Amino acid sequence: MLQQLTAVWTFRYFWFSLVKMDLVTRYRRSFLGIGWSLLQPLAMTAVLCVVFSKFNADEKNPNAWRTYAQNLLGAMAVWEFLRNTLLMGCKSFLQNEAYIRLSPLPYGIYPLRTVMGNSFHLLVTLSVLLLVVAVLGSVMIQPTIWAAAPAILMTMLFGWGIATIAAFATTYFHDVSHLIEVSAQAFFFLTPIIYGRELLDAKGLSWFVDLNPIYAFIEIVRDPLVRGVIPTWDRYAYAGGLTVASVGLGVGTIGWLQKRVIFQL
Amino acid sequence: MARIELNGVNVTFSLRQTRRVTLKEYLLKGLFLTSVNPVVSIHAINDLTLTLREGERLGIIGHNGAGKTTLLKMLAGVYPPTSGTRVVEGKICSLFDISVGFEGEASGWDNITFRGYLQGETPTTLKGKRQEIADFSELGDFLNIPVRYYSAGMLVRLAFAIATATEPEVLLVDEVLSVGDLAFINKAKERMRQMMRKSSLMVLVSHDLDSVTEFCTRALWMEHGRVLMDGPPEEVVAAYRASIAPIVETPLSAVIPESVATPALVATE
Repeated sequence: MLQQLTAVWTFRYFWFSLVKMDLVTRYRRSFLGIGWSLLQPLAMTAVLCVVFSKFNADEKNPNAWRTYAQNLLGAMAVWEFLRNTLLMGCKSFLQNEAYIRLSPLPYGIYPLRTVMGNSFHLLVTLSVLLLVVAVLGSVMIQPTIWAAAPAILMTMLFGWGIATIAAFATTYFHDVSHLIEVSAQAFFFLTPIIYGRELLDAKGLSWFVDLNPIYAFIEIVRDPLVRGVIPTWDRYAYAGGLTVASVGLGVGTIGWLQKRVIFQL
Repeated sequence: MARIELNGVNVTFSLRQTRRVTLKEYLLKGLFLTSVNPVVSIHAINDLTLTLREGERLGIIGHNGAGKTTLLKMLAGVYPPTSGTRVVEGKICSLFDISVGFEGEASGWDNITFRGYLQGETPTTLKGKRQEIADFSELGDFLNIPVRYYSAGMLVRLAFAIATATEPEVLLVDEVLSVGDLAFINKAKERMRQMMRKSSLMVLVSHDLDSVTEFCTRALWMEHGRVLMDGPPEEVVAAYRASIAPIVETPLSAVIPESVATPALVATE
């Protein structure tokens, strides 16, 4: 593993320059350019907010939509990051096949390219979230903002691990990427993103919510930024455990398959 | 000290005959232990033992499909040996598939940066070389536009210029001497001579047998993944030439009807 990390560090200029190029290319010919990174999460949240607030109209609390918008944007930011990292990451070896055939770089670099690009968008969305909280929020979040930093780092590492495992699986079986797309759709509705967890708690399904890996990362990133609370240590422990397991399995998969995967490309 | 040591190396490709196996097929067929899409093994390199010391320049010749490019990629570390040991010491520079691995949406300048970093350059070392690379490619203002608009020849010029800007200890070359237009070929050959003088060890794969005798101190003739002959380039190349059936020279007038023959054809006969 140390050899892998050393190699990733040695080629840091290579993969970092590809990340920069990905970000520039993504919005190259669009009118707003990188502004879409700001506008997209806001527009998405605004639409969902209008639609679901109509369904959940509460006359006793006309300002409920303010809380809903902040919680929704926070959850969507983390969800989009993990979903896109997994979907794009699973194709990273296939898309970088030319580089793999040219030079024996560590395989971890290719999912890392995806993770770093998506991390930029995550940070942009969370910055927009802070602005939204400043405008709409009524809770003091300044004392708890710092707690989001280690949570974001854990989310990025978790994303790298699952993207790496998915990349190897997709190289062997191309239909894995389609399975991931379908599973992502299901997970979106199984996770309390567009609805609060109270809906599931009321049905005695709190254990289901607590076990959901996506919701673990949503909680530890969103709550310090939106609700002004630092989640309990057990939630950090669960997310931390998932991160360690994901990174460990990712590194293990690289060690197991790195000498064989090129023959599958 | 640059060194290449291969000991009993085998490289085997396992391919499916018709198409990729889906996950469903893999699971179901695995359960019932049958296969409608069996694996075909291609033994590309067969029990190869080779030692190259500092100062040696090895040329590899052979028919298409002999395993020459696979051997080169295995030396570069791209294909791990299926069995046997591979030891390559020294900074490796590979010149194969040089027109792939470009980022199409990025400009020529940006691709110089990516490919430079891929070859192990840093911002400091690359800064001094960027203009030299640009000048060698002779692409001028075209370097400012995305490479997806380049012609094949322009891509090869850029790729060759970037790839040969390093100072390698171990140089691995695969058929890059037959690229671009005539003026560029001469320039490329001179650049290759400079690189060979700077490198400690070189392995050249080429169908241009004159290049092998010109540039190499030792030659290997490969066939179906095995070494048929290993020795001085002149002897190996001569043996290889002799093994190819001579082509009987047919006068053009025998194949082009008189009714369409031009005075130019008659003059050449």
